Amino acid sequence: MQKGFTLWFTGLSGAGKTTLAHMVETELRKRNYKVEVLDGDVVRTNLSKGLGFSKEDRDTNIRRIGFVCHLLSRNGVVAISAAISPYRAIRDEVRAQIGDFVEVYVRCPLEVVAARDVKGLYAKAMAGEIPAFTGVSDPYEEPLNPEIVVDSSTQTKEESYAVIISRLEELGYILKPETEVYSEDEEEEVKRRLEELGYL
Amino acid sequence: MGLFDRFKSQRERKVVLIGLDGTPYTLLRQYSADGTMPNLARIAEAGSLRQMDVSIPEVSSTSWTCFYTGSNPAQHGIYGFLDVQPNSYKIYFPNSRNVKAPAVWDILGNHGKRSVVINVPETYPAKPLNGVLISGFVATDIKKATYPPELLPTLSELQYRLDPDATKARESKEVFLEDIFDVFEKRQRTILHLFEQEKWSLFIGTVTETDRLHHFMWDAATDAQHKYHDAFREFYRRVDKLLGEVYDRLPAETTFMMCSDHGFTKIEQQVYLNYWLKSQGYLSFTSEQPRSIEEIAPGSRAFALDPTRIYINLKGKYPQGVVEPGAEYEQLRREIADGLLSLEHNGHKVLQRVFMKEEVFHGPLMEQAPDLIVLSNYGFDIKGAVNKQVLMDTEIFTGMHTQDDAHFFISRKGLSERKPHICDIAPTILKELGVAVPAGMAGTPLLNYE
Repeated sequence: MQKGFTLWFTGLSGAGKTTLAHMVETELRKRNYKVEVLDGDVVRTNLSKGLGFSKEDRDTNIRRIGFVCHLLSRNGVVAISAAISPYRAIRDEVRAQIGDFVEVYVRCPLEVVAARDVKGLYAKAMAGEIPAFTGVSDPYEEPLNPEIVVDSSTQTKEESYAVIISRLEELGYILKPETEVYSEDEEEEVKRRLEELGYL
Repeated sequence: MGLFDRFKSQRERKVVLIGLDGTPYTLLRQYSADGTMPNLARIAEAGSLRQMDVSIPEVSSTSWTCFYTGSNPAQHGIYGFLDVQPNSYKIYFPNSRNVKAPAVWDILGNHGKRSVVINVPETYPAKPLNGVLISGFVATDIKKATYPPELLPTLSELQYRLDPDATKARESKEVFLEDIFDVFEKRQRTILHLFEQEKWSLFIGTVTETDRLHHFMWDAATDAQHKYHDAFREFYRRVDKLLGEVYDRLPAETTFMMCSDHGFTKIEQQVYLNYWLKSQGYLSFTSEQPRSIEEIAPGSRAFALDPTRIYINLKGKYPQGVVEPGAEYEQLRREIADGLLSLEHNGHKVLQRVFMKEEVFHGPLMEQAPDLIVLSNYGFDIKGAVNKQVLMDTEIFTGMHTQDDAHFFISRKGLSERKPHICDIAPTILKELGVAVPAGMAGTPLLNYE
């Protein structure tokens, strides 16, 4: 079984967590990894249905996602979480529980996500129609030491995705595609050694 | 032993396996009887030393992968040291990332058990695991062969070497032997160091110098008058010393195992499958001196890859495939098999069997499997070279692999009566450590664990 781990995206609503999570998911599936994505919006329609946005409910939501990620990771699955997860202490609690945990901070200034307003929520929040909205009327606590930081206000999604994949390879959580195992020189060396033993 | 005690004992149980690449069962029996390997003699007395069958093809990359995954080549995907890329004749060299079945140490890792794995072929580049891994053949870069990288300074201090330099065998047998002994000394030092320093539930230490020695100097083993006959035995005395050192340091509740990935026997003739296919009109090349199967000419109906694999040039599977799937494919396979089975040399049949792929391979990766696989009689070393001008000859090598004379040892009595197969070792290790054998593993445990 390949070694599982949890890839935990965090950032404001509309920063790009879901987009990047699915880009990473697609690539890892191509590389034969087992992958599952727990998207915050989706989880709130099933696993965390009925939970609201109070601190207590947000913490419960994140703990539930973390619990499932832990189960998946320890069974060789790459568990990708894409939820705002605004509170540092709860993210750190999940990290401690899981162990093989890679935090990806998708940074994007509030004014940029609010201007994008991809789901139309920031306008409503700023008009007071949605209470306890992260960034507007509820806190977001930035990670202090995330393994990966990308910035969707200054990078394209392709650039951010490349940073994530490259860093995961550097950290040893994922392997480079098969074709890159041997450089040309190494391939020549492999050929030579097989020839020496009569295998070619 | 009560249930709790048995459970507790299983939880703390450890397994140590020493791999000796290419060491035949018959050689070990001979050496444990004639005093060359006294440690092995006493170790064998306390357990079960058995002759073992290995993979078909009986080549190290395939066989060791069967060993460490407990699975068939059509499950793990390694059919040889080289293969062709899908929809292509382009050669590539399968590595650890091409292995599609989980390693026994990965399964153990998921149960919180730590492994130390040293020098098992076909584990390069080193993949992260719960424990320590130093890749074996064909590792080229010590940095990519070592996990975790923090181990590298230790390996440097121990002067660990990945492999002997086989080019030395063509310079001088003396220089070659010196190199074999040198690599072995450093391998042994590293095995014993990690054995003592690391925490583990599974410890695997593999010696591949045996295989290198056998390829170039098997005649020294069998000919008592050979100049290097004593040197050959001396090497095995040193292997025996390693066995004794490890065995005598085993922690309590540890099962000791040994195995090889194939046996060895004397070469009478090397036999070139691609030359035969060419001579029978099944294969041609675009150049007079082809360097690889990539130079296959249009109209070819079959080609071979080292050592014993034949592929039918199927339409739809290969860019210049000409053979229709179905009746034409089956008829061609039969025709080639019959032709090969009729090959003789000095009145002796060259081949024991020609298998159809479905007779020996079972799993989801059948598509990339060879269509025919040959199993030779002792003495005939089957090769996939593309540039030979004769059907048979001899070269520098004096030893060839055998499929049915590998060895397996376990420090237990009560082994199953059936002949062990190399795929059975991983499930046996799992059961020894109290871990359930995953469904679908080709091998089955060699002891009754009910």
